[in-house]
Amino acid sequence: MKLLSALLVVFVSCAAGGALVLAQQPPPQQQDEFVPIDQLPPQDQLPAAPLLVAAYSFVVLALFAYVVSVARRLTSVQRELERLETDLKRGSSA
Amino acid sequence: MPNWFIPLAVVCALMFATAPILIANAPYESTMGLVQKIFYVHLPSAWMFLLGAIICGMASVRFLFRGDPRQDRLAWAAAELVVLFGVLTLVTGPLWARKAWGVWWQWDVRLTASLMGWMVAVAYLLLRKYGGPGSEKLAAGLALFGMANVPFVYISVNYWRTIHPTTNVVPSLPTSFGVPLWFSALTFLLLFVLLLRIRVRLEEQRARVDTLYLSMDA
Repeated sequence: MKLLSALLVVFVSCAAGGALVLAQQPPPQQQDEFVPIDQLPPQDQLPAAPLLVAAYSFVVLALFAYVVSVARRLTSVQRELERLETDLKRGSSA
Repeated sequence: MPNWFIPLAVVCALMFATAPILIANAPYESTMGLVQKIFYVHLPSAWMFLLGAIICGMASVRFLFRGDPRQDRLAWAAAELVVLFGVLTLVTGPLWARKAWGVWWQWDVRLTASLMGWMVAVAYLLLRKYGGPGSEKLAAGLALFGMANVPFVYISVNYWRTIHPTTNVVPSLPTSFGVPLWFSALTFLLLFVLLLRIRVRLEEQRARVDTLYLSMDA
């Protein structure tokens, strides 16, 4: 949980920093010519499939990670609860 | 856990297995093509993000006025889901936008308000984690701002100039787009309910642990 909290703080800090950088970006330049899409450099042609795969993968992984995180926390609390109940029973019988 | 939990979890798992088939069979949108299929996870995530903020805010109001600890636990659980579904929305949105709009991000009202709403939920969790005694009421006050932001996020696309689609898109969807969307939304809603219940359960168990420690000290 501490690690998750630390990661959250780092993520929020990076997001805030990134947001500031993006906000200071100059506006896009006006277009002065039309270029056919097949003449664009490969990095600008942007196929949709990797973006789609990235989006669905992120959703599945994030949901899975959250379920695992909650299950681990619940198991840990459950164990602590059982230990305390046992200690209390021992204390009351002694 | 309640009796309905396991059957609902099975139904939800089956729906999660079926949803990709429906989404794959949905037609391509005329201008955006394949990348528009991100819509089927982006929009349900956004709805759950807003629903979580409303539940967190309503539970916080009840906690502030009635002092009911169950409402506080519900608010805490909902805030965590706001962060989770907010991340899904704020990550899938830019992935779609990069292809559809040519940019990862636009500082328009809906996107900025959504980011603010997500940051309020993160602040809520940090306050609960590190705020110490009494932080639950401060956090509840913060949750009210998160809830107040929800209608602003929803209607912003209809009132301000933006390239984000308006709220008229969903009611006017043809059946071929609508069926996978509503199926996916129902799946996300079931998942939301299950996660909320299990997260509330975690807080209930933590409260029991605290009570036991207090009884041992007494």
